[in-house]
Amino acid sequence: MEFRNTRQGMAWLHTWLGLILGFVLMICFFFGSLSVFDREIDRWAIPDTRFEPQPMPSFDDLLIDVYERTLPDQDEYDTLMPLYHDEAQGPATPREQLPADEYWAYTTHRDPVLRMGIGYRVPQAKNPEEHNHIHANMTIDPRTGADIPDEQLKIGSDWFYPLHYSLNLQWKFIGYYIVGIAAFFMLVALVSGIWIHRKIFKEFFTFRPDKRPQRKALDMHNMTGVVALPFHFFFALTGLIIFASFFYLPVTNTLLKPLHELHEEIEATTTGLPHQRAGVAAPMASVDAMIVDAKKRWDDRGMAGEVGFLMIHHVGDANSYVSIYRAGSDRVALVGEGIHYSAVSGEMIYEDPEKSFAENAGEFLTGLHLQHFEHWFLRWLYVAGGLLGCVCIATGFIFIVEKRKQQHNKAGSQDSRIVDAFAVTVITGMLLATVSMLLANRLLPIELSNSELINSDLVNKGTWEKIIFCGVWALSFLHAVWRSAPVARAQSNPAWREQAFAVGAVAALAVIANWLTTGDNLIKTLLLDPYMAVAGVDISLLLLSGICFWAAFQLPKKHSENTEATQCNQFSG
Amino acid sequence: MQSIFWLILATLLMFLSMGWFALSLSAHQKQVNQSAIGHSQKPKPAQFKWVGWIALLLSGFCCLQADHPSMAVLVWLMLIACSAFSIAMILSFRPWWLRPLMSVLCMFENPANSDSNKG
Repeated sequence: MEFRNTRQGMAWLHTWLGLILGFVLMICFFFGSLSVFDREIDRWAIPDTRFEPQPMPSFDDLLIDVYERTLPDQDEYDTLMPLYHDEAQGPATPREQLPADEYWAYTTHRDPVLRMGIGYRVPQAKNPEEHNHIHANMTIDPRTGADIPDEQLKIGSDWFYPLHYSLNLQWKFIGYYIVGIAAFFMLVALVSGIWIHRKIFKEFFTFRPDKRPQRKALDMHNMTGVVALPFHFFFALTGLIIFASFFYLPVTNTLLKPLHELHEEIEATTTGLPHQRAGVAAPMASVDAMIVDAKKRWDDRGMAGEVGFLMIHHVGDANSYVSIYRAGSDRVALVGEGIHYSAVSGEMIYEDPEKSFAENAGEFLTGLHLQHFEHWFLRWLYVAGGLLGCVCIATGFIFIVEKRKQQHNKAGSQDSRIVDAFAVTVITGMLLATVSMLLANRLLPIELSNSELINSDLVNKGTWEKIIFCGVWALSFLHAVWRSAPVARAQSNPAWREQAFAVGAVAALAVIANWLTTGDNLIKTLLLDPYMAVAGVDISLLLLSGICFWAAFQLPKKHSENTEATQCNQFSG
Repeated sequence: MQSIFWLILATLLMFLSMGWFALSLSAHQKQVNQSAIGHSQKPKPAQFKWVGWIALLLSGFCCLQADHPSMAVLVWLMLIACSAFSIAMILSFRPWWLRPLMSVLCMFENPANSDSNKG
C-alpha cells in the first residue's frame, strides 16, 4: 500500500485501528465511566446494603469471629487442592480443617459493607516455598458481622467494573490481553488522530449541527477527542501501567523470579517483617489497640485518617505481624502510610518511610485511574470525561459508515452494513444490555439466591442477571444485523431508532421497578430520607431514558435527510 | 464548605476562559453576535486570548485553594474538557448565550460605547 504523504498514512492507520479496536474501547470507556460509581450501583442492586458507609469495625469484637467461622471457597478448594497438595505425604487436608495464613479487610469512604478475605495454607504442599493459598472472600455488614450473600451479584463492582478491564473473559486472562492491546493502540490512534487533524485549535469548539451527518459526526469526533485529550491519553496509559507488571510484562514472576524472591528476603531482613512462618504457634494481641496507636501516629504526622486496609500475615504463628494502612480518601494515591506491628506482642516493628519521587509518581498515576478519593465533583468530571470518550468512538463509527455507504451502495458492497450493525450493537445494544440487567435485578425474586430445591449455579440470581445481560446484548446484535439492509442502500439502519426506544423504555421501567420493589422513589431518596447512591442511579437512568427517547424521535428526521442526500447525490452523479 | 466555594469559582472561571478562547476565533465571534456590537468596537482576538489565559490561570489557582495540588491538577484538566465541550454545544445551539462574554470585554475597552449599545 502506498501513501502520498505521512498524513494519508496516519489517516489509514487511525481508521483501521478505530474500526478494529473501537468496539473494545467503547466497552472500556462506557463501563469504566459506570465504574466511577460502582459501589453506588451495588447499593441500588442489593437493597439490603442501603445504609450509610461505615468505618473499619472492631477486629477484636467482630472481625475475628467472622474470620473464624468462615470456610475456604468450595470451588477454589476443589480446583486448587489437587494442584497444591502432595499426595505422597498423605491424604489432603479437609476443607474445614485448612489453617488460615493471612487475613485482610478493605473498606473505603463509599462502602457501607466490608470486604474481607482469608488465605488458607496447604499443610502438605508439593512446593512449600511457594504461595500455596486457597482463599475465601466474603462481604459483611460491619454493624452486625452478618454475611451479605455473594449470590446477590454486586453489579457495579463485580460485573461492570471488571468488564471495563477484562471484558469478563477469564479464560487464560484473554480479556485482559485484548483490553491491553486495545489500550496500547488507542495511544497510537490518539497520536495519529492529532497528526491528521490539521485544525486542532481553529476547530477546538466546532460542531456544526446543520451540516450533513458525515460532517456532523466528524466535527463531534474531533471535538470530543481533542477537548478531553489529556483524559483519554492518561486513562489509556495508566490502565496499561496498572496491569503491566501482572499481565503484560510479568517479569517478576517469570524471568526475574529468583531475583524477586531474593529481594523479598532482603527486604524482610531490612524491615524486620518476617518473610516466613516460625512454625511455633502463638496467640494474637489486641489488633484494636494497634489501630488506635496507628491512628495516633498518623495524627502526629499531620495526616489524621481512618484505616483503609488491614492485613494479618502468618496468622497464629510466632512470626505473625499486622499491617495497618491509612485510607487514601483525601488524595489521589491509594492506601498508604503503612504501620506494622508484631501480632504477638502488639509492638510496632516498622513504619513505612517517606516514598521516593518515582514511587510517588507511580502511585499518583495508578491512583488517578483507580480514584478511591473522596471528591464527588472530580468523580462526576471523570464520568463526563469517560462519556466524551464514548461519544468520540461512537461518532467515529458513524463517520466511517456515513463516508463509505454511498460508495458501497454504488459498488454493491455489504461492508458498511456489517460495520453499522456492530456499531449499533456496541452503542445502543450495550446500553440496552446494561439497563435490562438492572431491570432484571429488580424483577427477579431474591429467593433464587436462597433456593434449596435445586443446588445449581443456574438458579443463582446473579447468574441469571449475567445471562440476561449477555442475552440481550446478543439479541441486539441479531436485531441490528436483521434491520441493516437499508445501510447497503446508503440509508439509515432503523435498529438505531428501535433500540434507542427500547433503552428509553427499559431504563424508565428500572426506576419504576426499584420504587415498587423497595419503596425507594426519588422523593424519598432525595428529600424524605436522603440516600444519594440510589437517587443518583435513578436520576442517571431517567436522564438516559430521556436522552434515548429524544434521540429516537430525532432519528427518523435524520433518516429522511439521509435519503434526500442520497437522492441528490444520485441525481448529481 | 470553603472548598465548595473555590470549586464553584474555578468552574465559573474555566467556563469564562473557554468562552473567551472561543470568541478569539472569528468564526465563533460571527456565530455569537454580528449585529449587536459594531465591527469597529469588536475586541481584537488577542484581547480575548489574554483574558482567556488569565481566567484559565485563575481557575487553576482556585483549584489549588480547594484541594491538594495532586487533586487540583486533575480537577483543572477535567474542567477544561467539560467547559470546552459545554461552550462548543452553546455555540452550536444557543450562541447568543455567549453575548455577555463579548459585551464584558467591550465594556472594559470602551464603557461609553458599551452603554450606547444597550440602547
